[in-house]
Amino acid sequence: MNTIQIGYLLKAGTTGFVVGCSVSQLEAPAFGALVRAPLDKDYSVYGLIYDIHIEDDGLVRQLVTAGNISAEVMHDNRERRIVPVEMSVLAVGYAQGGKISHLLPPRPPLSLDVITLCSDAELVKFTSAGKFGYFRHVLQAKDIPIGELLAAHIQQASTAHKDKAWAEKAAQELITLLRDDYPLLMSVLGALGEVS
Amino acid sequence: MTLNFQQVFDRIKQIGLGAQARQKSLDALRKDARALLEAWADKGAELRAKLERARQADSNLRCALPLDEHLDASHPAVAIKSTLTLLAADGSQILPDRHAALHYSLVNVGAIAMQPGSGQPPEVFTDSSLLFADELYTETGMVSEEAIEQRRDIAERKKLLELAPDYPAPVLALTDGPVELWGAKNSGEDDYRKNLEIHKSVLSQLQAKGVIVAGYVDKPGADLVIRTLEIARFASDDEYKNIRKIHPLRGVSDPWLFSFLPGGHRSAVFGLQSSSRAHYTGDLALHFFYLNVGELKHPSLVRVEFPKWVAEDANKLDLLHAALLQQCRVMGARPYPYILHRAHEIAVVKFEEKKQIEQMLDLELRKSGSEVDQESNKQSAKNLKGRSRN
Repeated sequence: MNTIQIGYLLKAGTTGFVVGCSVSQLEAPAFGALVRAPLDKDYSVYGLIYDIHIEDDGLVRQLVTAGNISAEVMHDNRERRIVPVEMSVLAVGYAQGGKISHLLPPRPPLSLDVITLCSDAELVKFTSAGKFGYFRHVLQAKDIPIGELLAAHIQQASTAHKDKAWAEKAAQELITLLRDDYPLLMSVLGALGEVS
Repeated sequence: MTLNFQQVFDRIKQIGLGAQARQKSLDALRKDARALLEAWADKGAELRAKLERARQADSNLRCALPLDEHLDASHPAVAIKSTLTLLAADGSQILPDRHAALHYSLVNVGAIAMQPGSGQPPEVFTDSSLLFADELYTETGMVSEEAIEQRRDIAERKKLLELAPDYPAPVLALTDGPVELWGAKNSGEDDYRKNLEIHKSVLSQLQAKGVIVAGYVDKPGADLVIRTLEIARFASDDEYKNIRKIHPLRGVSDPWLFSFLPGGHRSAVFGLQSSSRAHYTGDLALHFFYLNVGELKHPSLVRVEFPKWVAEDANKLDLLHAALLQQCRVMGARPYPYILHRAHEIAVVKFEEKKQIEQMLDLELRKSGSEVDQESNKQSAKNLKGRSRN
């Protein structure tokens, strides 16, 4: 299986982790993508990218005010300077001994663990396991764009499944889970409406 | 409370009371200095004779030597037509600390190569040299701070020499600060001479490769032209005899003197008269000009130092002038050559990196069964929580 490495772990907790990469590595990961931190042969942590941010620094601020930034200076800042792109990832499950669980991982990944983008096959395997148990982590998360994240994830997973039925089941499950939270349900359905 | 703020406050009030008088006196001195610059602008030969007499009275005299141009000449930048390779190197060092648990030193050199207009990303390089055990000692004792700094300066130039042949000419090699190897005062004389010979050899090799070598001095503090104007006024033997004590224009700075230069203009080229002039001879003789990298309304004067082989080649001088301006403009309102800033950024050893080196070294020594010392009790007390590291 081909794996696309998207960066290294900067910091982690049970409910999520932050991945750092250089700007030149930024083409592969996308908002809503499922990523994996393979801790050892039998244990991996899965997560959804819910934020990608690029920190500024004093030099960048000064360059911005100067205007007329040359191609060399732009390349230098994007490719050579140690200014990592940071991706925040929400933990949504783990795999142990080949079995996928949608519970929070027993232990988080460690600093500098390699983080890879899940292939379509992995995405299908993770999203087909159980009954959308990992939606719970997304819906309970604080300070993340829940509707947008679910819409992006369902769009990517639906493409991987090559089957509309999975997306319909996912939407049904969300309606059930959010039956008592009308504002959030409307927000999620609104975002999903943009996808379909 | 660590400061007696009442004493400081009283002193600050006194300073404030005298500010107007000091400004008035400084304005008068500035007027004198500007008048002297104009009066002596075209009297280079006469001025050189006075400076030679002054040099005989004080061999450590540090001032500007006028050449054939008018002292108050102003030159605009010439547009660069050819492609140019810019190289810059900067260094940082960790000095041995006798209070630390581990005695080691590190010289780190960062370098960057850039071709403006190529659209290509610059290339960056880092060379790190760790000194340990016997490498920290010379024949006369523990290696001094100045010796480490000289080693760093030479490593910077060697890196430029190593990189220069890999890039298309013309190549401009920049370092931050003066070109001359600095500070023989406290380091062992033998060490300085040894380092000086290496330094001159590297400069000569850079010359052989046709490289434009320059040192960029931001906010220059050495008032070389002002000192020259002070000597211009000397009329009696007594003044020459007491040259070290006579500073009638003290307070006026070279950057202020040349603040009449329009934005982007450079001054005339001057020779550098200093105690190191005896070492940097022939094509290595050091020269400089002042350059306004700011605007006329908001001048920002820097001193650019280079060897004679650059000073005497109008094309090289034009390239140096234009390339520095172009690099400074990248940085906007606080002009400084972008490439030098990047070299610094690559070279600097951060506190966390220093700690990592110490952990790695400590671990390796313990693994191999070596004795590892402890930090001094004084340092340990300073590190106690609630106190600053200083």
